[in-house]
Amino acid sequence: MNWITSTLGSSIGKKLLMAITGFSFCGFLAAHLAGNLTIYGGKDAFNGYAEHLHALGPLLTVAELVLLSFFLVHVITGLILYLQNLKARPVRYAVNKTAGGRTFGSATMPYTGALLLAFIVFHLLNFSFVDKTNTTIFNIVSSAFSSPVYVVIYILAMVVAAVHVSHGFWSTFQTVGANHPKYMPLIQTVGIAFAVVVGIGFGFLPIYIFLLA
Amino acid sequence: MTKTINLTLKVWRQNGPKNKGRFDTYHAENISTDMSFLEMLDVVNDQLTIDGKEPIAFDHDCREGICGQCGCVVNGRPHGAEKGTTLCQLHMRHFDNGDTIAIEPFRAMAFNVIKDLAVDRSALDKIIQAGGYVSVNTGGAQDANAILVPQEVADLAMDAAQCIGCGACVASCPNASAMLFTSAKVSQLALLPQGKPEAAKRAINMVRTMDELGFGNCSNERECEAECPKEISITNIARLNREYFKAGFFS
Amino acid sequence: MALDAKIPGGPIAEKWDRHRFELKLVNPANKRKFNVIVVGTGLAGGSASATLAELGYNVKTFCIQDSPRRAHSIAAQGGINAAKNYPNDGDSIWRLFYDTVKGGDFRAREANVYRLAQVSNDIIDQCVAQGIPFARDYGGLLDNRSFGGAQVSRTFYARGQTGQQLLLGAYSALMRQVAAGKVQMFPRREMLDVVLVDGHAKGIVVRNMINGAVERHAADAVVLCTGGYGNVFFLSTNAMASNVTAAFRAYKKGAFFANPCFTQIHPTCIPVHGTFQSKLTLMSESLRNDGRVWVPKNPGDKRTPEQIPEADRDYYLENKYPSFGNLVPRDVASRNAKEQCDMGKGVGETGQAVYLDFADAIHRDGRDVIAKKYGNLFQMYEKITADDPYQTPMMIYPAIHYTMGGLWVDYNLMSNVPGLFVLGEANFSDHGANRLGASALMQGLADGYFVLPYTIGGYLAGTAKADVTTGHKAFDESEKQVTGRIDRLMSIDGKRTVDDFHKTLGRIMWEYCGMARNNEGLGMARGMIQELRAEFWENVRVPGNAADFNQSLERAGRVADFLEFGELMIVDALARQESCGGHFNERFETEEHEALRDDDNFCHAAAWEHSGDGREPEFHKEPLVFENVKLTQRSYK
Repeated sequence: MNWITSTLGSSIGKKLLMAITGFSFCGFLAAHLAGNLTIYGGKDAFNGYAEHLHALGPLLTVAELVLLSFFLVHVITGLILYLQNLKARPVRYAVNKTAGGRTFGSATMPYTGALLLAFIVFHLLNFSFVDKTNTTIFNIVSSAFSSPVYVVIYILAMVVAAVHVSHGFWSTFQTVGANHPKYMPLIQTVGIAFAVVVGIGFGFLPIYIFLLA
Repeated sequence: MTKTINLTLKVWRQNGPKNKGRFDTYHAENISTDMSFLEMLDVVNDQLTIDGKEPIAFDHDCREGICGQCGCVVNGRPHGAEKGTTLCQLHMRHFDNGDTIAIEPFRAMAFNVIKDLAVDRSALDKIIQAGGYVSVNTGGAQDANAILVPQEVADLAMDAAQCIGCGACVASCPNASAMLFTSAKVSQLALLPQGKPEAAKRAINMVRTMDELGFGNCSNERECEAECPKEISITNIARLNREYFKAGFFS
Repeated sequence: MALDAKIPGGPIAEKWDRHRFELKLVNPANKRKFNVIVVGTGLAGGSASATLAELGYNVKTFCIQDSPRRAHSIAAQGGINAAKNYPNDGDSIWRLFYDTVKGGDFRAREANVYRLAQVSNDIIDQCVAQGIPFARDYGGLLDNRSFGGAQVSRTFYARGQTGQQLLLGAYSALMRQVAAGKVQMFPRREMLDVVLVDGHAKGIVVRNMINGAVERHAADAVVLCTGGYGNVFFLSTNAMASNVTAAFRAYKKGAFFANPCFTQIHPTCIPVHGTFQSKLTLMSESLRNDGRVWVPKNPGDKRTPEQIPEADRDYYLENKYPSFGNLVPRDVASRNAKEQCDMGKGVGETGQAVYLDFADAIHRDGRDVIAKKYGNLFQMYEKITADDPYQTPMMIYPAIHYTMGGLWVDYNLMSNVPGLFVLGEANFSDHGANRLGASALMQGLADGYFVLPYTIGGYLAGTAKADVTTGHKAFDESEKQVTGRIDRLMSIDGKRTVDDFHKTLGRIMWEYCGMARNNEGLGMARGMIQELRAEFWENVRVPGNAADFNQSLERAGRVADFLEFGELMIVDALARQESCGGHFNERFETEEHEALRDDDNFCHAAAWEHSGDGREPEFHKEPLVFENVKLTQRSYK
């Protein structure tokens, strides 16, 4: 096991952990978004999607556990990286200027990450860890989004997620070593497009439900 | 055309590694726009000396952009704002009359300030010591043309080999990471047939040493690539990552 | 005293082999008992340190930069010669030997030059094995180009950064030995004295440039690889820290300084443009392969180059030297540029420049081809001058570049002080009165990789081992002298800065001991230097503290040595009443204004011995015997 910890424990190893877990969240986001889009099909379609999901039973539990462990790895590694990187420059510059390498997304990764962490807890408390015995998921969602405060929180969270993804997506490819002058521009474009889709795709749902209600 | 400008300098002064630093303000007057940045500092230092003050310590040597000894952060940019340029090749024609210029040393935990703008970059030598070489003793090498290297490969290796070890990548990295520096050497030797036998050991040892020296972690911010005076690409970092995983998981 | 160069007997092609056989060997198990000090980490010092450590010696290596990778060898652009004859164009060891001796205007030692040509091929093999990314052709074989006046393509190159790549190769070999514990590396140390015990070099005294501490280091032999003294001119292509101090301190301890007046002017540098200027930047000589040198035909023509029609241009090199054209050796190209400017045909704001024009080459080969060959040089030029060489001709002017003179060494690269070896530009041996392009890298690496590792063994095995510690009284005396000098510099507290003195010295040297010299000027310059030196010791201001990182103090020590050394150059230039290579005395020129040698009286190396401060140095002669090459008047017509 020593070779695994020493490989993954190095700066590049930690980067790989961030990349792989992060990229699987991109996959999760895509699936989650696809599911959520059923809401445009109406109440029954949406509830049906939820039922189908829960019918998976143990499979769903396994998926959730994997997601949870990836989540923990991503958060803990991210935190370690953040602290180490802070320590690597004990005296800060008086004047900070970018040479054009950083993007808004890359510069804010730890902060958007922290916001997302808070949001995910909030989101799970809203929709996941609630008593669903006498109601449907559609009702829970529509009652939540009847409040403008919720709508605003969710929209902001989705903007944050999009910003986070805008750096995370292409960054995964760079980290695993898939950077080729021929393909990198395409990967970067796809990354931005994906971030936009995530932002708009998720972000528009609360508005839609708010207007519907 | 040559003209002269007046500038206000805010320069980091620090007596030694353990002392606290501060910014002091100086006026640089009648600076010819044909001067290099370091020549401008020479003029300021001459004046300081005549005035009975201590001149500003700064590292420099070849003054033609190749030795890698010079470098400070000028208005937040290592080696100043010109692309692909070391500080010694940065000319004053890129500044305007009346400008205020903040000059700081390269800052990183792995780079201690020796005095004022001069820093200790021996950590970079230590990374090379960990494997930035091909283990061949002098003598006994085969005929040079017995090793064929495709032109494109030689060109890519040369792109990476151009690194001058100035440390601007570390200085510019928001995380003070030395990945671009390390990856340039790993890449050069991983690309060439001569470096392949030791590729795995090299990647692992150089990365490990880099980590131990207190550099930060690369988070793909791309500032290094944008600031590198030799414009070394982060495709080299991707190659280092590949080499590292290959070595870590499959060797 | 006639100097014994210890040249082995036998035919020239067999001398080195024979010598290697005759040299005593140090038993492999005994090598670890020997300590060797190497000062300087350029091509010579880096390669020597690494190779000695590989052989098993304990090496202590010193450099003044913050890292051994920064030595000024790194700035060499053009390439490195070798007699590989890969292009099949008629090159051979003999031809490289012949070209080097002739290029040096027959003032180099035949046997050394032949050995240099012999090992040149091994250097390329070694460097390729180290992973140096030399230029390749499409098939993957090494590419060669013709360079600096050679009529065969024997120059290996890595873009315009050959010196950098070769140095990083030597540096990586050195770092490998540091990691192996065989080399102890001491960066940011300046050698201020060599310590002799019973006449043998047994150590050095250095100043730690970070905290000012004076340190002692003892060893069984000392190897100086401290480069040339071009900075005596203040403005040169050398790095700011390049200096003569280590070599000059050795001279003061009894090592002979040979041919100090042999300095090389490089023809293609960016012209001087102001008094604030701190250094001159060289543009690789390879530019002359495609660039055409010209000036306006009529003196005082102030039109821009585009406005000057073909008929009013004088391509003086092509006209004067039809067979070599723009590719004449450096000294010839330089002097001709000066001659044109002296006639009032110089261009640019100062009139001290000539054009190097790529319009024809771009028209012939296309911009892309030219960009591929010289792109980085054009970019560098534009960065410095803000002119675009694709659009307008470059302006160039000669500048001090390399110094052929140096400490006298025998065939073993050992000075007349036993145990004190001198390598690379710091010695005098291989380039005579003028160095050909792409030969400096070759010599530095030849000395460090392939010559010293053998010859030092001969010295160590042939000398009774005397273990000297740093407690020896010779170290006490040396340290006392060093600290005394530092204290004196710190205590003057005068009115002029160190650079101010250095610039004044540089102007005197350039004016009277530069590209062209005459006896009257040299005589006058000698007096001026003496006066300047006297003023320096009364009126220099060295700020700060000696026990600190103090760059003014570092420079003050170097300039103090230059102020003495400059006079030695003049003494040598005055003694050599002939012209040869880089030493051009206006009294001695052919009808075609070429250097006119006097082989009857001056076919020798002049080695100067220090005989006390304020006294004339003593002259020693090493006659140069040419058995294999016929002395001819160089002609590049």
